[in-house]
Amino acid sequence: MTKRFLLFCCVLTTLLGAAGPVKKVFPYAYKQEDLANGLRLVTIPTDYPNLVSIYIVVQTGSRNEVEAGKSGFAHLFEHLMFRGTKANPPAQYQAAIRTAGAAQNAYTTDDYTAYHTTFSKEDLPQILGLEADRFQHLEYTPEMFKTETLAVLGEYNKNSANPMSKMFEVLRARAFQEHTYRHTTMGFLKDIQDFPNEYEYSRQFFDRYYRPEYTTIIVAGDVEPKQVRAMVDKDWGAWKRGSYQAAISAEPPQEGPRTGEVKWPAATLPWVLVAYRVPGFSDTQNDTAALDALSYLAFSQSSELYQKLVIQEQKVDAFGAQNGDHVDPYLFGIFARVKKTADMDAVDQAILATVKQFAETPVDAVKLERVKENLRYKFALGLNNSEAIAGTVARFVALKRTPETINNVYDLYGGLTAADIQRVAKQYLTERNRTTVTLVGAAQ
Amino acid sequence: MKRMILWVTLCAAAFGAVPPQVLMPGKSPLVTLRFVFLTGAASDPVDKPGLANLTCEMLAASGTKQMTYKQIVDALFPMATSIESYTDKQMMVFTAETHVDNLDKFYTLFKAMLLEPGWREEDFRRVKDDQINALKVNLRGNNDEELAKEELYSLLYAGGPFGHENLGTVSALEKLTIEDVKAFYKAQLTRGNLMIGLAGGYPADFPARVEKDFGMLPKVGPAAVKLGAVQAIAGNVAVATGTKLTIIQKDTRSVAYSLGFPLAVKRGDADFPALLVMQSYFGQHRDSGGRLYQRMREIRGLNYGDYAYIEYFPGGMFQFEPLPNMAREQQIFQIWIRPVEVPTAAFALKLAMFELDNLVKNGLSEEDFQRTRSFVSKQVNLLTKTKSAELGYRMDSAFYGMGEYNASIKMALAGLTREQVNAAIRKHVRADGVQIVAVAKDAEGLKASLLSKDVSPMTYNSPKDAAVMAEDKVVERWDLKIRDVVIVPVERVFQ
Repeated sequence: MTKRFLLFCCVLTTLLGAAGPVKKVFPYAYKQEDLANGLRLVTIPTDYPNLVSIYIVVQTGSRNEVEAGKSGFAHLFEHLMFRGTKANPPAQYQAAIRTAGAAQNAYTTDDYTAYHTTFSKEDLPQILGLEADRFQHLEYTPEMFKTETLAVLGEYNKNSANPMSKMFEVLRARAFQEHTYRHTTMGFLKDIQDFPNEYEYSRQFFDRYYRPEYTTIIVAGDVEPKQVRAMVDKDWGAWKRGSYQAAISAEPPQEGPRTGEVKWPAATLPWVLVAYRVPGFSDTQNDTAALDALSYLAFSQSSELYQKLVIQEQKVDAFGAQNGDHVDPYLFGIFARVKKTADMDAVDQAILATVKQFAETPVDAVKLERVKENLRYKFALGLNNSEAIAGTVARFVALKRTPETINNVYDLYGGLTAADIQRVAKQYLTERNRTTVTLVGAAQ
Repeated sequence: MKRMILWVTLCAAAFGAVPPQVLMPGKSPLVTLRFVFLTGAASDPVDKPGLANLTCEMLAASGTKQMTYKQIVDALFPMATSIESYTDKQMMVFTAETHVDNLDKFYTLFKAMLLEPGWREEDFRRVKDDQINALKVNLRGNNDEELAKEELYSLLYAGGPFGHENLGTVSALEKLTIEDVKAFYKAQLTRGNLMIGLAGGYPADFPARVEKDFGMLPKVGPAAVKLGAVQAIAGNVAVATGTKLTIIQKDTRSVAYSLGFPLAVKRGDADFPALLVMQSYFGQHRDSGGRLYQRMREIRGLNYGDYAYIEYFPGGMFQFEPLPNMAREQQIFQIWIRPVEVPTAAFALKLAMFELDNLVKNGLSEEDFQRTRSFVSKQVNLLTKTKSAELGYRMDSAFYGMGEYNASIKMALAGLTREQVNAAIRKHVRADGVQIVAVAKDAEGLKASLLSKDVSPMTYNSPKDAAVMAEDKVVERWDLKIRDVVIVPVERVFQ
């Protein structure tokens, strides 16, 4: 047993204990540093031996796709980043990654793109060097570009078998008129099909956003911060700062309820999706935290509505809500998969009645405390390996560029009152802010 | 770092006296419980496919004698702990991770759920509905890729204990009663079938407490699953018979494929490390370095990815590492071709079969072998990056009668040669006599294009190397040797 491991155990036990001053929920002593070019480095020594996990977060997602006809480019770029450089052409890059036994992948969201690699600690200098090379010197031919656009179409195709993909496309198109959240991260199908003609634009996209001021490197695992900093200085220090800032149109306030309908060509169960416009993520104001707590209180497995619809009446077989953290105002969504089409209206009405109840009546204080307890334990249980730790930090770094955001958010959770929950329900979950989308399949 | 001390206590050589325990005590405040019953879909009565899974879910998502399901959910909620459950052919798994602060409260609930089930009709109705919808909606309706994979297994093992989908069939599920579930529980969830895994900072006396509690289960040991020799498996198409194609017809945008054949090698066998290298070289799961991925997606842009397997790996579209505790006495070799556009569907399948043929004939080069061996030797660490996974792997190793997985594989790989890998490929892998499952809208059109002796032309949106173009000339004329085609409407699959 290492000393560090024992330390972790003490920290984690303490943070969940009730006695003493309030401890920070993120139990690791991390080092956050900025290079002169604007690149940020967060190093997190953890208690898990031998392995290292790197997350490179670029604060560019489908939110940044401001030009008409160019939706889906952030995600396409996630693919292009695997197309190599002059120094490390694709085959050589792949060979190096394979020899290192690294598990590597990437994902794109509305607000950011994350590249992650997990590997044995002795390969850290090499992996950081390879990553630095592709972030600064990505080189791909028009031919490679065109081929990769087909892989993205393939991704759209595999997603398209699931009716929920279509339902989310319709929800966004109805809920947003101006803001880029109008399209999904995959992008509009017509734009994906037009990708092969957009090589020049892709270079422009790289030039705008793959810059140090947009990027944070998170290194978690069996590492020493000073050594990591030296490696990053060496490989990433010469990266040039950019100047581009996307002009993202603000979404005007919603003036009334909206609806959308999807008719799915194959047999499937119907869905009811009720979404409300809510403010963007904040770690200083408690609106986000209160809406998160509300999603648990009103719609989680232990909520009264879940008990009614899923356990007692058994009208619904999948149910929940999500207040997805976004940079700009986004949606608080409540989802129900209904067993019989005839029950869709009743389920919709039950959701609306619950929303009304939370706006009119303060929540029971004991229930709120149980949610706070759940949130803290869930967070602690989720940090069970270095990759999970880096991945968790990445989600918050994408929003506010520092792991301290985690502590701020959990402090806000801790301070929530019943009045806060009632206030956000009353203020945001209104008829005016609502978009409802239903999906009905062909007869079974 | 000094390794955490491990005790593997296989208290009875033959399962029976007390449940064998795999213990990984540590100082972590997180405690993992893995309770694995050595039963599963292979033990479903012939006329009741899906009963094992239904029994599993009735325990994991229902009330106990003392508490309703609502009360259980409420009690678990503040602990942020839930019980994950799944059923494969020969293992039924209940696992959870909880903070040591909550261990006593959690274990009291967990124990009651497994040992004192409430058997309420309303729970049964909900759980059965969920399972039917998992088949009809989630699998048949929403996931063409998994549908093709699961149908492949059902076809290969048709008529035997592995020959049905773990979830069963819709018509059989509709007839199952709570009495069926009780009977399965009584006969199969015995202490002779139970393997208990614990990891983390549990109290020293906790294993004894668990042993005493679960010692109250009946003693009956595992029933033998009669699988027969690989050659005798119904769906193991003889090379001379040619390849069989099943097309599931449904309204969908693209064409999904899964193909393979039964394999005479499982974890713990001498050729397993060699085939592990082959699998990684040819199609490492969700990794861009595999041969299939490179030739099909990276060079030709045919789809989102293409992979190969020597062990069952469900839900691959949702996860990067396989779940532990899906150990099986028999495995298959499988290729997963992610959905392809309709115009290139025939070419894509021909290319996969061309690559498989190349693999069998030529094996790996020395450079590929060295690189892949290095990859697998290190990547194996990632499989056990959580304590829960490490515990699961140790329990699987007990099932397979092998040593600790990571150490065994690394040791075997260190002594492995390219010749051994290529010999294992020649012995166990083949490009003829394969079962293929496709999911497509125009089933007749796909059938015609795959049976046709005409070329399946490939066109690109950008120029390709001369070598690729020359290879395409061979691929587009590739004889798939399909001798038997069946078209099945999707509503009949798992019905």
